[in-house]
Amino acid sequence: MPVDTRRVRAPEESQCPLLFVPLLPRGPLRTVAQPEKARVDGRQRSQVDVRPVFARCGLVTQAKGSAYMEAGKTKVLCAVYGPRESERKDDTDMKAGRLVCDFRYAPFSCPKRGTWIQGSEERDAAQALQEALRPGLCLHRYPRAQVEVNVLVLEHDGSVLAHAVTCASMALVDAGVEMYDLVLGCALRQDGDSYLLDPTLAEESGGHATQPEDNQGGVTVALLPSLGQVSGLHADGELRDESVSAAVRACMEGCHRLYPVVRRALVYAARRKAAPPGDSLET
Amino acid sequence: MAAGFKTAEPLEYHRSFLKENCRPDGRELGEFRATTLNIGSISTADGSALVKIGNTTVICGIKAELATPPTDAPNKGYIVPNVDLPPLCSSRFRPGPPGEQAQAASQFIADLIDSANIIQREDLCIESGKLSWVLYCDIMCLDYDGNLLDACVIALLAALENAQLPEVTINKETELAEVNPQKLHPLNVTKHPVGSSFAVFDNTIVIVDPTAEEESLSTATITVVTDEDERLCALHKPGGSGLSAEKLQDCISRAVTRHREVRKLIEEVLKSIKPQQ
Amino acid sequence: MATVQICEAEKVYIMHGVRDDLRIDGRACDDYRHMEVETDVVSNTDGSARVKMGDTDILVGIKAEMGRPRPLIPDEGYLEFFVDCSANATPEFEGRGGEELGSEISSTLYKMFQNRSSLDLRALCIVPREHCWVLYVDVLLLQCDGNLLDATSIAVKAALFSTRIPKVHVSEDDEGGKELEISDDPYDCMRLQVEDVPCIVTLSKIGHRHVVDATLQEAACSMASLIIAVTHKGNVTCVRKVGGGSLDPESIFEMTETGKRVGKALHAPLMKLLQEEEVLGKRRQKVGFLG
Repeated sequence: MPVDTRRVRAPEESQCPLLFVPLLPRGPLRTVAQPEKARVDGRQRSQVDVRPVFARCGLVTQAKGSAYMEAGKTKVLCAVYGPRESERKDDTDMKAGRLVCDFRYAPFSCPKRGTWIQGSEERDAAQALQEALRPGLCLHRYPRAQVEVNVLVLEHDGSVLAHAVTCASMALVDAGVEMYDLVLGCALRQDGDSYLLDPTLAEESGGHATQPEDNQGGVTVALLPSLGQVSGLHADGELRDESVSAAVRACMEGCHRLYPVVRRALVYAARRKAAPPGDSLET
Repeated sequence: MAAGFKTAEPLEYHRSFLKENCRPDGRELGEFRATTLNIGSISTADGSALVKIGNTTVICGIKAELATPPTDAPNKGYIVPNVDLPPLCSSRFRPGPPGEQAQAASQFIADLIDSANIIQREDLCIESGKLSWVLYCDIMCLDYDGNLLDACVIALLAALENAQLPEVTINKETELAEVNPQKLHPLNVTKHPVGSSFAVFDNTIVIVDPTAEEESLSTATITVVTDEDERLCALHKPGGSGLSAEKLQDCISRAVTRHREVRKLIEEVLKSIKPQQ
Repeated sequence: MATVQICEAEKVYIMHGVRDDLRIDGRACDDYRHMEVETDVVSNTDGSARVKMGDTDILVGIKAEMGRPRPLIPDEGYLEFFVDCSANATPEFEGRGGEELGSEISSTLYKMFQNRSSLDLRALCIVPREHCWVLYVDVLLLQCDGNLLDATSIAVKAALFSTRIPKVHVSEDDEGGKELEISDDPYDCMRLQVEDVPCIVTLSKIGHRHVVDATLQEAACSMASLIIAVTHKGNVTCVRKVGGGSLDPESIFEMTETGKRVGKALHAPLMKLLQEEEVLGKRRQKVGFLG
């Protein structure tokens, strides 16, 4: 293993303390969640019950546009730079601009510490984010240029990709990048016959499953709300096919719940920008 | 008109303010930007703190892991600080391995932890030669508007004071470590250093807490770190123009008063979050 | 991605064809191209397969090696995927050109197997916490003519089918230490249950309809595609929207429906083919790479 000379030396190997917690009884001894009961945080199963969201634009002053979003304990920050000259000279598109996405987990954002170097999970998320955002942008307005979207997850408590999509689209609006529509994200965890909308990390990893062996999976949908088009769809796990369609419908509903909150945050940010200096603004 | 002047002749623009003993953002030469602190907001970290000095925002999260102690010091643990300047915080940083500035900042923090004795490495040892804690102190800049080092030091200190580590025992029979996440203990933070940064304009005028623009126009920058006993822990002056001994003495005395202000702020915030726990 | 440039008139021609359920090569919208599957093509692997779908040509080799189980799942073995985009396939892959596509395909493969039923990973465990089999699945793209993912997933399934892992006998010595003995009888080996391994169906939206197994020309007419991994029972293990366009919800529902139908129909003939080939044993005629 080559030594990383650019960082302070760390021990070669260290283990997460969670691995040393004496194991709880597994298998049938574990309490199985009841389908009719509420979720751990009091929300209802199989209902479009999203966590309260806090959204705010323009926190990163150095960026062209930025947004910060909190849903439950999930915290996502996004900054947008550009449009500026495209970095990749080899495939500069003369007709349309490029959208470059970077997605990072802060090392302390997950229960287990992450590494400094970008992992494959982060690269996949960046790719998914790019695919979800691109249909919403008028990239043909920025030929030979690139728009950079940087997402940093400060705390991971489930549905990260979905909230990253919403947060990034808010930041793009804040940056004044021309768009066809906002892009909103919503995630869902299918658990047997019921589903959990906007799942927490514990729910995402199947901690509260009612039927641990059957029809388990996660779905993330990105929606252009006023055009009614789905710009991103991601599903993993093992789902019965009728669950896929039902999950997409539920996620779209979840996106629409988010819409007024996001719109309010954007209007607030736009007003504050337009306000003459010294004029205080009430929410 | 002013905006044009600022863009075309930034240095002259700043000089015209400094002549009047004030700065473009309305501050006096010796005035720090508003400093705010938010402690313990990241629940996935063992300790965390978010610091804002004006626009500059820095977050520090501490994650503790277990490792075998270093062979040359079997009764010690590890502290691994890392300062990250992601492309998110300013257009001047690119993705990829840490750049020069991030490397320098990481090293500065690492040296400070050692020289100021913030934490005794012996306190991190669980069983000599077998097991000890590794404290990963990841400091990330979220918004870069100058004076990175001051913000990093405050964030690190506040996060360390906020950190709680689970109790670890070694099972006599199996000789394996057992972690009890229900029983948490705070870290023993022995010293509380605070830094103050200064920028030198035209080799003579010293201003405190420079913004990113002021930093890039200045001829030199200095960071002075002092602890609660008013002793000098670290002095960082990476190149640039020279500074008279007299001016440096002024900087140190300003740093001492700044230490008291910041210390008060950290203690107040720590006290305010206590009842919730 | 290996792409072709086509002009507007060609696009219109293809789109009109798709509208009338008649594609440029004569297929209907739900039809696959002619497919060739051959297993046991590389002798120094534990399992291999080569799939030809139109001019898309893919070789998969599987090597089983002993490793340590992942600390969080101590009673399972695991799979590692590596996709090599050979510069033989298209000059675009020269140097690091194919890396992005390669990692995209391998990450989709990882996701496809990231559930309990695709492959019984517990069968790969030898001694919990200590030893397990790690299957290194190497995918080599020999030629690209569209629809790489579908062909790759079929090739992986065929290669897993042909994989033979030597049996390991665990014996305990007096001090409680474990000793592993690998059987040297080439016929004393373990086979994998590949029944539930999913296949990927890529559906490309062209005009108002969607097509299965798009050629490069057809892919150039499509703004958005849906990748669906389907098991033989019709369960879905992975869905991705790819491409720069968006899809309206109704067409997503139609596409998942088609994906399920086509995917289910793909498994039975494939399994039958693999079993028939195996029954032939040594008598079978090897086609190899030049066939």
